[in-house]
Amino acid sequence: MSDFNNILNHGAELSDESLKRYLEGTASEEERFMIEHQMTDEAFMNDAVEGLQQFKDPKVMQDLVNKINQDLLKHTVKKKRNKLKHRIEDQKWAMLSIIIIIILCILGYFVIHLAQNPTSPNHSIEQKK
Amino acid sequence: MHLSINAYFNSVPKDIYAHISDQELLDKFKRDQDSIWLGILLQRYTLMLLGVCMKYLKDEEAAKDAVQQVFLKVISELQKYPVDYLKSWLYTIARNHCLMQLRDKTKLISVSEEMNLADEPSTNLSALDKEHSLILLEQSVNELNAPQKTCVTLFYLQKKSYQEIVESTGFSLLQVKSYIQNGKRNLKLLVAQKMSQS
Repeated sequence: MSDFNNILNHGAELSDESLKRYLEGTASEEERFMIEHQMTDEAFMNDAVEGLQQFKDPKVMQDLVNKINQDLLKHTVKKKRNKLKHRIEDQKWAMLSIIIIIILCILGYFVIHLAQNPTSPNHSIEQKK
Repeated sequence: MHLSINAYFNSVPKDIYAHISDQELLDKFKRDQDSIWLGILLQRYTLMLLGVCMKYLKDEEAAKDAVQQVFLKVISELQKYPVDYLKSWLYTIARNHCLMQLRDKTKLISVSEEMNLADEPSTNLSALDKEHSLILLEQSVNELNAPQKTCVTLFYLQKKSYQEIVESTGFSLLQVKSYIQNGKRNLKLLVAQKMSQS
């Protein structure tokens, strides 16, 4: 009865290593059954295995996987770096704006202060008169 | 494949993020907006996607280029839209990409349709329901046509490999796969029918 469970159950997730052993023909009975079970359930796994079986040289297959992964890593790192660069550039402008606003505030303060408390000598003489 | 294959496979660094599920990596990417998480996630599917592209394009270099283009598309799309079933979505994108490259007139399957092909969440049956369906399943096997019954029995119950079934039945590999798939589908339909009747 428990074997009927295999029909109801969905094939379990498998590692790349199991898949490679299957292609190589060294997978255990259990691994072989799991992979073929998943091939029955999932078109993705079925197409993948059928495609990988077309590679004549496993070295070529692994080299291509490594090359794709390296390029993927380069691309994602570059994307992250660009994002960081943009963030720093945005922050640079924000900092510059804050500094300009502070300078304008200080200048404004002095202009208002001078206008309210004039200290020029001519102005004080006129006030004494 | 040659036995020397292990030497090449051993050179591949182990996935140190293996304990993190696909969904968790997707969540991390959404939260941090850091494409490094996507890189880690997509690397898990490189081999399978290469296989899919190779199946359709029949050329090693073309398959490699196709996987790279699929990755670029995936990275850009994932930043725009949420994806629930990543694995089946990846497969759909890769397959459509290859079919477009082949300029085939085949109607492209939409992502929503394709969802049923993989990553389908399994039905959560209660223990009682499951036991009941197993009994019905055992009864229903006899209602399958002869080739389907033979292939389903050999594959699921006797755990024979595709190759062993090919050798013992004389069917072609394609026929064996088809009989197993259709047999399983018919069995599920028969069980569902019987369950609704009881």
